[in-house]
Amino acid sequence: MTPAFSCLLLCGLLSAPALADEADISNFLNGHWGIGSNQGGTRFFELTWQPEARWRFDNGGRLTGITRLRWQTVAGMRPTDMERDSYSTASRPILTSDTSELELRELYYERGMGDWYLTLGKQQVVWGKTDGLKVLDVVDPQSFRKFILEDFDQSRIPLWTLNAEYAIPDWMGGDWTLQLLWIPDQSYHALPKPGATFAFHSPRLVPRPPPGVGVRLNAPKRPDRLIRDSDIGLRLSGFVAGWDLSLNYLYQYDNRPALYQRPVSGPLPILEITPKYHRTHVIGGSFSRAFGDWVIRGEMGYFSNHYFLDSTPGADQGLAQSAELSYVLGMDWSGLANTFISAQLFQSWLPHYHAGITRPRLDTSLTLLLRRAFWNDTLTAELLWIANTRDGDGLLRPKLRYEWRDNLETWIGMDLFYGDRSGLYGQFDDNDRVTINVRYGF
Amino acid sequence: MTKTVLILSMLLTSLGTAAANLPDGDEIARRINARDEGLSVARDLTMRMTDRRGKSRTRETRGFRKYYGEDKRTVIFYLSPKNVKDTAFLTWDYADPERDDDQWLYLPAMRKVRRISASDRGDYFLGTDLTYEDIKLETRVSIRDYHRKTKGEDEVDGHPCYLLESTPVDAKTARELGYGKVEQCVDKEIWMTRRARFWDTKGKPLKTAYFRDIRKVQGIWTQHRIEVENHKTGHKTLFLFSHVDYQTLVSDKWFTRDALRRGL
Repeated sequence: MTPAFSCLLLCGLLSAPALADEADISNFLNGHWGIGSNQGGTRFFELTWQPEARWRFDNGGRLTGITRLRWQTVAGMRPTDMERDSYSTASRPILTSDTSELELRELYYERGMGDWYLTLGKQQVVWGKTDGLKVLDVVDPQSFRKFILEDFDQSRIPLWTLNAEYAIPDWMGGDWTLQLLWIPDQSYHALPKPGATFAFHSPRLVPRPPPGVGVRLNAPKRPDRLIRDSDIGLRLSGFVAGWDLSLNYLYQYDNRPALYQRPVSGPLPILEITPKYHRTHVIGGSFSRAFGDWVIRGEMGYFSNHYFLDSTPGADQGLAQSAELSYVLGMDWSGLANTFISAQLFQSWLPHYHAGITRPRLDTSLTLLLRRAFWNDTLTAELLWIANTRDGDGLLRPKLRYEWRDNLETWIGMDLFYGDRSGLYGQFDDNDRVTINVRYGF
Repeated sequence: MTKTVLILSMLLTSLGTAAANLPDGDEIARRINARDEGLSVARDLTMRMTDRRGKSRTRETRGFRKYYGEDKRTVIFYLSPKNVKDTAFLTWDYADPERDDDQWLYLPAMRKVRRISASDRGDYFLGTDLTYEDIKLETRVSIRDYHRKTKGEDEVDGHPCYLLESTPVDAKTARELGYGKVEQCVDKEIWMTRRARFWDTKGKPLKTAYFRDIRKVQGIWTQHRIEVENHKTGHKTLFLFSHVDYQTLVSDKWFTRDALRRGL
C-alpha cells in the first residue's frame, strides 16, 4: 500500500461518502507511557490516533473503516524496529517517519441477505474462547511489537478477507452458523528485529549460534501467489442445549515462519537464517457453558505441520517437523458481586518429538485472572498471572483502571516478567515496567 | 379502661377488615405479571449515572425484547459513549424455574461474544443502580424468589397504590438477589409499580426507585422514566426510555450471538 493511497484512505474515512444515508464517526486518542521498574527511565512513549467511521446505506449494507496513526519515540519500540517483510504489500503499515506509522486497520463492507451475511474487506476474524493465550485465534496473524502485552484487538493484524456466514436455525436441536473464509492476504506474524526491546532471544524461539559465529538474517521466503497461496477457513458454530459449540477448520500458511539455518564458512563464520512459511491444516473446536456461578470453556486445535528448532548436531537445517496439539480448559467464577475470577490450563503437545527439539514435548501454562469492580464500575482492579510450569517463568500484570468521564479513562499497571531468561517469559525479565495509559474518545 | 379496650378493639377490627379487603400479595403479583407488555418491543434507553459528588456518566442504548411463549429474549446494544460503543448484552430468559438463563456479553475490545454466568443476578448492571435481575424483570416480579404480603395502601405522585412487601424465600436467594426485603407501591388501576424500596440482606435501607412518566404507547402502559437512588453509596441512576415501539415486530435475528457481534 503506497503512502499516497493510505493518506487518501485516511482522508476518505474522515469524510462520509455522499452515498451513505447515515454516518457515525469516532476518534480515539491514546497515550501510553512505560517506565522501567528496575532502572527507571522511559522505556516507551507512544501516542495513537485511531479514527473510525461507519456508514449505513439504504439497502441495509454498512461500510466500516478504521485507521491508526501511531507515534513512538523510544528506540527499540519504534516502527523501524519491527520486521516489515512479513506483511503483504496490501496490508503493510506505512512508515511516515522513523518514529511514526500509518496503518489501514480495517475497511470492510457488510450486508445481510436472507440467511447469508457477507463481510468483504480488511477485517479481524476472531476464533476461540480463551483469554490471553491463543489456540484457535490464529486466522489473523499478530504483531509481537510488545510481545503479548498489547490488547489483541490492537496487536491482531487484520487481513483482506471474504467472510460469508450462513444461518441455519433449528437444525440438530439448535441454532447454527456456518462461516466460510477466503483470505488472499499473505501477511504473517510481525516480529521485532534483533535488538528491539521485545526481540525474541529464548532458545525455544530463535537459534543460538556457537560463540564466535555471526548471524545473518535473510529476507523471508514468502508465498506470493494470490489464489493458490490464499488461506481457507470453515467454522460451524451453534448453540445446543445450553452449550456454545464450534467446529473449526483452517488451511493456512502457518503465521510463524520456520527458521532455516545454514552455516556459511569463511574468515568470519556465519549462521545464515532464512525464515520460510509452510502450509498447515488446523482442525479444532471450542465449547462453553454456564453452570450456576461457573462458566466452563475450552478449545482445542490440531496443527498438522509445525516446525521447531532442533539443536541436534546434523539436524536438517536446524529444524524438526511435527504436528502440534494445543488445548485450553478455562473456568470463570462470578459468585461474588462485582468480582470475576478466571483460571485457564493451556497445554501443547508434540506427537513427533525427540530430545533435540528446543521446547518440551508437553508444554504447560496456567493463567489466573482476578478482577473486581468498585464505585459502579468506575474503578476496576485486576491481576493477570501467566505462568509456564515447565520453565518456571511467567508474567504478572496488576492493573488499576479508572473512568474519569464518559470518554476518558486512565489506567496504571505493571508488567513484571520473572524466571529463567531462556524461557518464553523470562527472556524479557529486563523489560519490567510501570505503565500509564490515557484513552480519550470523541 | 373497658371503653379504651373497646375502642382499640373496634379500631383493630376495622383495620383488619380493611386489610382483608385488599388483594393479597400473590394476587397483586399475578396482576402485575398479567399486564400486556406486547409480544415484542424496540426502544431507546438512556442511562445517566451520577455519583455522590455529582459526577455524571451517560450511556445511550438501543434494545429489543421479544416473548417466545413464556420465555423471553432481550438484547441491548450500546450506542455511546465512544469508549463502550458496540458493547452488547443478550439474555435468553426461561420461564422454567429449574433452567438457568443463558447470557452473553460482547465486548468490542475482545471482539468475542463471551458466555457469562446468569447466576450473578444480584450484580449491578454495567455500573447502574439496578441489578441484572431488575433489568431482566422490567415491570414484572419474580414469583419464585419471594414470599409476598399486602401491607396496606399508599400514594405516589397522586396515584393510589397497594403496598406489596416481598421477602426472599430463603437466605440463599436473598444473597443472590442482594435484597433482604422489597416494598413496592403498585398502582391500583394499571398494576404497575410506581415506587420500590429495597433493603439489603442485613435489613438496612439500600435503594429507592421511582417509576414515572407512565403513559400508554400503542395501547400499552409504558414507563418512560426510572429514578433510582442507592442510599448506601449516594449513587443515582436515571433511566429514560424513548422511541418505544410495540407494533413493528422485532426479527428473531436480533437475539443471536451473531447479531451481538455485528452490532446495530
